Amino acid sequence: MNTFLILLPLLLTMLYSLATVPLLVWMERRIAAFIQDRVGPNRCNIGGIRLGGIIQSVADMMKLVFKEEFLPSHIKNKFYYLIAPSIAFVSAFLTFMVIPYADNITVNGQIYYMQALPTELGVLWFLAFAGLGVYGIILGGWASHNKFAILGSMRATAQVISYEVAMGLSLVSMLITYGTIHLNEMVTYQTQSFFLIPAWGVIIQPLATIIFIVTAFAETNRAPFDAAESESEIVAGYHTEYGAMKFGLFFVAEYIAMAASGALIVTIFFGGYQLPYMTTNDLINNFETILWGVIIFAVITSILFLRWMNKNNRFEFSSNGETKIYTTLIIGFTVFTTILMAYYALGFGETHKVGVMILQFVLFTIKLFVLHFVFIWVRWTLPRFRYDQTQKLGWNILLPLSLANIFITAIVVVIGVNYGN
Amino acid sequence: MQNEIIFAILALLTIVSSIVMISAHRPIDSALAFIVALICIAALFGLVNATFLFVVQIIIYAGAILSLILFIVMFLNIKDENLPDEKNKNWWLLGTSLIVAPFGAILIDLIVRSDIAVNMVPAEGFGGIKDVGLTLFSKWVLPFELVSILLLVALVGAVTLAKRDN
Repeated sequence: MNTFLILLPLLLTMLYSLATVPLLVWMERRIAAFIQDRVGPNRCNIGGIRLGGIIQSVADMMKLVFKEEFLPSHIKNKFYYLIAPSIAFVSAFLTFMVIPYADNITVNGQIYYMQALPTELGVLWFLAFAGLGVYGIILGGWASHNKFAILGSMRATAQVISYEVAMGLSLVSMLITYGTIHLNEMVTYQTQSFFLIPAWGVIIQPLATIIFIVTAFAETNRAPFDAAESESEIVAGYHTEYGAMKFGLFFVAEYIAMAASGALIVTIFFGGYQLPYMTTNDLINNFETILWGVIIFAVITSILFLRWMNKNNRFEFSSNGETKIYTTLIIGFTVFTTILMAYYALGFGETHKVGVMILQFVLFTIKLFVLHFVFIWVRWTLPRFRYDQTQKLGWNILLPLSLANIFITAIVVVIGVNYGN
Repeated sequence: MQNEIIFAILALLTIVSSIVMISAHRPIDSALAFIVALICIAALFGLVNATFLFVVQIIIYAGAILSLILFIVMFLNIKDENLPDEKNKNWWLLGTSLIVAPFGAILIDLIVRSDIAVNMVPAEGFGGIKDVGLTLFSKWVLPFELVSILLLVALVGAVTLAKRDN
């Protein structure tokens, strides 16, 4: 049990970063398709099971893994060329380490942290390794020995360096507000409320939220800030010369960076793993009531989903009735979880702490995926910024705004400390 | 024991990458060796519980300054034939290290005499962001402000140098 609780956050880090990549690729393709009034990939199947198209991204991953690894003959610096994707990947993965997935849990008098690295550095750790990720891009572009690649990597470097400033400054105003750099304490702060409004970061500091989200887009090189790989001008930017799994690592690193900044945005601005108004102790004390709520929610959503699926899921190539299998699985799963939850809700089991922990994981995951949806939505809605527009936005608009925000925040906090109650 | 082994590995990596940084022929190799040296120094800070210095070292030096240097190295697009001819480089290195050796001996003597140790048990809150901040803004506030004025002068100088061309 002890070892499990120590390893659990590490496992969750793997799950949230690596295992969600195929899911994110699927989300990206399907949402892009719906935004552009298409259907998206939905034919790929294993024995008639399509999972709405997820099988397609699994197939893509398999293709990348088994493709031939070749080295372009003009590459002189093989070591730099080969190490570049790994740097991008590792630093993106390391940024994920400090995100709290649930509140600290005390079992037999010992505290277990639901962060992979319960370091006191908190958000600074994220900034440190988000900054290191750019070396992968620099090295990859430089070692590729290709004009397009070096142009792409120079654009990426300049963009990351200039947006890192605004990102750090918008975080400073959040640190002044919360009075801590521990991500877990930030989440605890956000369970408070003033005048019936939850004290989420997005409500206390709307400007810092906007600046941080914009800079997070730029840091992860996603549209509308993807001038580094703009395929209409410079082929594919810094990964033009990369193929097979070396490209795959860059690709995965981009998604992990996106997931990590999404997780950080959820933690700092959207209440993390907590419900508004409810602290962890409130959750533990009212666990039965909350479980009944979850049961009702689960039953209603699965009934609605089943009706929607039976109406819309058409796949004429399937011989064994794909919809029927899904219906059975969903009904079985819902009945099983409802019975399990009802057992605890009626007060038979005494595992409130673990139950609350699982509830917090679920809340965190839901918020994270809503944010992923926003990332994808923005990418397929806004056109790409021209390179000079990107720089102008970073230095002339976001930087002064975040500085002004720090001043205002500091004044309000000083007045609140000295003259407030 | 564990700490000594980690310290030895990190120290070796730091020294080797520093030597590579000085003696490398191409600027990009120097810059990359410098990054490795800086990250190793950050890890050494982490080893003696100076967590704030650890993370600041990575954010400022390894993250920001070195990526600017690499950016400029790439921007200049130095070709191999443009690099200076360094025939007697190794002799130069040997000669200068002999000249510096007495100072190194003094430094080693200083380190041996002082009471720093890898296995030191730190006081509560040592090296954390709160302790560093309080010390910096109460005890050392004058040097801190002087250093920030120095940085401001450098900043103004950079802006005027950039503006002069227009």
